[in-house]
Amino acid sequence: MVDDAADGMTGRYLLVLDDDFLDDTDRARVAVQEVCGGERPATTREGAPAPGRPRLFPELGVAVAELSPQQLAAARADRRLLGVEPERVRHAIGLSEEYLRGFRDAAQFLHAQLTAGAVAAAQFGDTEELTWGLQATGVAESPETGAGIAVAVLDTGLDLEHPDFAGRDVETRSFVAGQTVQDAQGHGTHVAGTACGPLAPSSGRRYGVAHEARLMVGKVLGDDGTGTDADILAGMSWAISSGAQIISMSLGADVRAVSTAYETAGRRALATGTLVIAAAGNNARRSAGNPGFVGVPANSPSIMAVGAVDPSLAVADFSAASSTVDGGQVDIAAPGVDVHSSWPRPQVTRTISGTSMATPHVAGIAALWAQRTGARGQQLWAQLVQAAQRLPLPASDVGSGLVRAPGA
Amino acid sequence: MPEKVTVSLADDAVARIDEVVAALEHGGLRVEQVLRAIGVITGSVDTGRVKALGDVAGVVAVEPERTVRLPPPESDVQ
Repeated sequence: MVDDAADGMTGRYLLVLDDDFLDDTDRARVAVQEVCGGERPATTREGAPAPGRPRLFPELGVAVAELSPQQLAAARADRRLLGVEPERVRHAIGLSEEYLRGFRDAAQFLHAQLTAGAVAAAQFGDTEELTWGLQATGVAESPETGAGIAVAVLDTGLDLEHPDFAGRDVETRSFVAGQTVQDAQGHGTHVAGTACGPLAPSSGRRYGVAHEARLMVGKVLGDDGTGTDADILAGMSWAISSGAQIISMSLGADVRAVSTAYETAGRRALATGTLVIAAAGNNARRSAGNPGFVGVPANSPSIMAVGAVDPSLAVADFSAASSTVDGGQVDIAAPGVDVHSSWPRPQVTRTISGTSMATPHVAGIAALWAQRTGARGQQLWAQLVQAAQRLPLPASDVGSGLVRAPGA
Repeated sequence: MPEKVTVSLADDAVARIDEVVAALEHGGLRVEQVLRAIGVITGSVDTGRVKALGDVAGVVAVEPERTVRLPPPESDVQ
């Protein structure tokens, strides 16, 4: 065996048993015993074996044994074995048995989980560096930044003096009579933060997706949080005319019937290469048996409707389900429970929930896709739903699934 | 009673939006905004004249203006 060792081999062999030995330790033991010339293999449950004695890892269907040339030839012809391969030294040192033991323990753990009927559910949480939403959607791994893409957020405005937007070139317009774009309500600053907040905020973890996108802020909801169709549609018209590739609208009314005005606006936006993304709505109370319904304007066929999931990727209690009207479906889902983002000073950040919070995740990630692929409008919509991570939930609740960043 | 309305134009009428605006004004609409990028016009009109605006050539829909309302800022669900 000296020659073998010089070649990087241990002189031992890995014997890979056929799959039907996996659940039958006794039969596996007998097979290995026969292949190895009568020596009873030690299993990993029996502690450290005597040197030279074969070892069987019954959970893996693999044994490690020393074989004479005759035994090796017989083993290679043995139909009970899927494979016979020399054990390499670099595996033998530190890896071989120890590695297999670790692998066995992990496999046993997973097996116990499965047979207990409970596959471990996803469970995200904010870290020092990142919100759970940026982790779950793969934003942190994406090389894209949104550079070269304009995202219009139509909401209550923005705290223009917020430290996380200081020095940022933000294009603003107020459509609310008598009010400036300065956000006195908070909602707009929160959703703008999720869509386009900075890579390194002034304090705390990163919460913004498209940190190099051009941010456009249209104030269409007043300081009291209310807004009219006229102001919202004016904001959409402005965003399209100003070259926004993406419009994020965390707003809506609990109305089932599709509005022709919003459908017209969404359709013409797509035709000019602008994707409109809107909140499905918070009118569900699922825990009370009420799935709710997607409202105006997200129920327009030409406007992408966003539902909300929680940190375990379950649909949020409040997140509206698809309705039966044409266009009333939820198209995609995004993190919308316990979402940390910017808030007007002096608070600076706040954690809240809603399909309003899910929507700017999709808008920001749409900017990443638009930057990477150059897709616009309907093509960008297709890329978002195609790349979405499928969830084991009804499509009527989460559409194509959880929005995913490119490269994630 | 004047009420606020949102008027949507047909695709083939967007190019002649000014003509449609004139016809709507003739029909009693006090035009507030002409949103050319999306082919939508907003304004107010006496309730009794709303229906007739829908018959103006190039108009596909006349809808009463709605208001959206966010939950109060202190709400946990927004």
